[in-house]
Amino acid sequence: MTKKKVIAAALATLMLSGVVAGCTPTDTTVATTTTEGTAATEATTTATTAPVVSGDGDQLLKIWSFTNEIQTMALAFRKYNPEVSVEYTMIPMTAGEYQTKVQASLTTDDIPDVIVLEASFVKSYVESDLLADLGELLPKAAEMETYQMTIDIGTFDGVTKAFSYQATPGAFFYRRSLATEYFGTDDPTEIQTYFSDMAKFEESAAVIKEKSGGDTYTVCSTGDFTNLFYSNRTSPWIVDGKLVIDPMIDEMLEMAKTFRTEGYEAQATQWQEGWFAGMNDTLTDANGNAKKVFSYFLPTWGLPYVLMTNAEAKDEAGTVLSTTAGDWACISGPMAYQWGGTWVGVMDAAKNKESGLKFVEFVALNEENLTNWATGVYTNEYLKEIDPSIADDIAQPAGDFVSSAKVVAAIMDVMATSKASEFLGGQNAYEGFSIAAPLTSLKLLQGSDDAIQRALADPQTNYVTGSATKEEAIQQFKDAVASEFPDIIVE
Amino acid sequence: MLMPSAATKQQMPVQGSVKLKRGGKVQKDYTAYIMIAPFIIAFLAFGFYPIVNTLYLSLTNATLMSRNYNMQGLKNFELLLQDKFFFQSIVNTWKIWILNFIPQIGIAMLLAVWMTNVRLKIRAIGFWRAVFYLPNLLMPATVAVLFSSLFDFYGVANQFLVGSLHVFSEAMDFKINETFMQGLVAYIQWWMWFGNTLIILIAGMSSISESLYEAAMVDGANTFTMFRKITIPVLRPVLVYTLVTSLVGGMQMFDIPYLITDQRGSPNGSLMTMFVLMYMKFKSSKGHIGLASATGIMTFIITAVVALIVFFLLRDKDELALQKDRKRYKKQQKIKARGGAAK
Repeated sequence: MTKKKVIAAALATLMLSGVVAGCTPTDTTVATTTTEGTAATEATTTATTAPVVSGDGDQLLKIWSFTNEIQTMALAFRKYNPEVSVEYTMIPMTAGEYQTKVQASLTTDDIPDVIVLEASFVKSYVESDLLADLGELLPKAAEMETYQMTIDIGTFDGVTKAFSYQATPGAFFYRRSLATEYFGTDDPTEIQTYFSDMAKFEESAAVIKEKSGGDTYTVCSTGDFTNLFYSNRTSPWIVDGKLVIDPMIDEMLEMAKTFRTEGYEAQATQWQEGWFAGMNDTLTDANGNAKKVFSYFLPTWGLPYVLMTNAEAKDEAGTVLSTTAGDWACISGPMAYQWGGTWVGVMDAAKNKESGLKFVEFVALNEENLTNWATGVYTNEYLKEIDPSIADDIAQPAGDFVSSAKVVAAIMDVMATSKASEFLGGQNAYEGFSIAAPLTSLKLLQGSDDAIQRALADPQTNYVTGSATKEEAIQQFKDAVASEFPDIIVE
Repeated sequence: MLMPSAATKQQMPVQGSVKLKRGGKVQKDYTAYIMIAPFIIAFLAFGFYPIVNTLYLSLTNATLMSRNYNMQGLKNFELLLQDKFFFQSIVNTWKIWILNFIPQIGIAMLLAVWMTNVRLKIRAIGFWRAVFYLPNLLMPATVAVLFSSLFDFYGVANQFLVGSLHVFSEAMDFKINETFMQGLVAYIQWWMWFGNTLIILIAGMSSISESLYEAAMVDGANTFTMFRKITIPVLRPVLVYTLVTSLVGGMQMFDIPYLITDQRGSPNGSLMTMFVLMYMKFKSSKGHIGLASATGIMTFIITAVVALIVFFLLRDKDELALQKDRKRYKKQQKIKARGGAAK
């Protein structure tokens, strides 16, 4: 009798849970990603998909990636190489699933031929013995005027193992209407003079606070400008196996502390609610007062994938409540920096190395492909002609900033009329990026950077909020690094 | 899970499945072995092998990013003992588990007593039981993200406490408060698991023969006396089961503390449980599986030792005495059979 009751209860619970699950709203916009920088491009795709095989060629090329982006290029690749059929596997990296899957497969037989790598972990692969030497493509890269920093990241000990189709210099996006209010102009060249270095950046932050009565924050979080400092270090994190703390880190801690204590930043967390709310002007503090955010530090991909997609606040019915589209402008800001990006490499133990090499060349160093990619030629109709069985949402919109200076110069005029330019009040972002791209250098990047910089976030918060002195915070940081990296000497 | 009845306790040791064939030859019946084979095989492949392999890996400097690795003795354990986060993680894990377990067993017990009490006549017990069990059906990852969003600086909790209730004058940064976050994780663990414990306790309590209570009532016992003298002693195996499973689960606490802040056990490593630490070592840029395995082994040892202590302290002393008697009886029988040279 009791058992029956328990079973009945269990069944009832199950059914109830179904009811409750049915009630949960599905349109929540909470970002589950807290990883700085890694939320980059996966905004468009979140679900794991089974491998998609396209074509019936006798050579099978296996590609693993963390977005559907490269799939469009894989389809285009087949147009020129009908003898190759492509097996495309997409695994999201929202919470690191992709990295886990790849790492777990590395020593097995189940490896891809071509592997797509994101900035936060590309270097650990380039530093390993797992990727094939792609040095033979370097002359082609020179011909394409590929930005040196993208090659630097793919190179370790003089051996180039990965190439990128995009360059990701950072920029400073600000609200035109607010600029006019506080600085009397919204002209990018004039505004740049107010934000030309870190000292001026801080001065202007004070102006914004004063003129807005504290209702407008210069940035949304202290995490916003960390990439600027990281990109402008003079020493890498690890020298001769030892942890080195660059003077820039000290400046970063000070800047974060000033911005928090002076109230120049909104205390939001990157990739979380408040941070997105600032983009569409719906940020309200706990008392219900409306707050505004003057600017965001975002790289090339931040414009189409983050800023443009979050600039409108909609209610459940889809009515636009608030929009900032068209009210943005873009300048290079106080320091040149770089953030994110996607690289493509070939596995050293790949079964189909030859096609893999061809594919990397096509993706990163083919003029026609890069032009098509950036200008929006790869529409769903275009790709369906190659493979009619593909899903309806596979397509690449115009706007990505490509890695070849040659292609960038050639398509500059086309980009002036793009949607991105409309979003920036008529300003051609491509122009700004093309100035910024050659200025950024990433020779300092190492495989352990991402984890080391994440270890600094917590001590930085402690220092900023006053719960630790700077010495204590640095010590906490050192302890965290020592715990995570048994092979790094921390003094 | 249910109480062994008085009858089974009295039974003498059961004979093994040995058949005597006509010729007088002993022939074993292998059916039982075949029946248990699938489990044994699956356990060896998916339970035993991973444990042995983890032990092996913990003695190497293996990483996920290199194809070769070497044995290096106990160096990983040495490194762990030098790692201050390791000790912090042990303290954190125990603290959060105890903070969650005491209210969990307490409230589950109280509700179970009410729900099984004949005198109270609570209506729709099945409904309440289901409601209390519901949180357990949610995915921990979802729950972590939900609470993370609730207690964000711009989250609902702040809007409610500051904007509506005016408890605070300005928004609180919950996520940098170590005590609060540990408490929150303990609360979530409690909220998700007390329904489960409740169902187990109800099942245990309803199997207690009502005649025991009736007899006690006739003797004039009140509810509390009955609870103390009947329910608790009879329920002891169920309580041990709950304690041990909760302990094992608690020592492996991972998803909630990992996901609720920055996936590093922040603030200040206060949410770094042993498994979060293990996963961080596994996930660091090179994937130090050797060191991660060593962390896993240490967790295993701690859990196993404590579970054994729990078993030892809470073992059924009457049952033990009975077993001893049984053994002595057997021995005597044997000696008698051999030639009756006993004493």
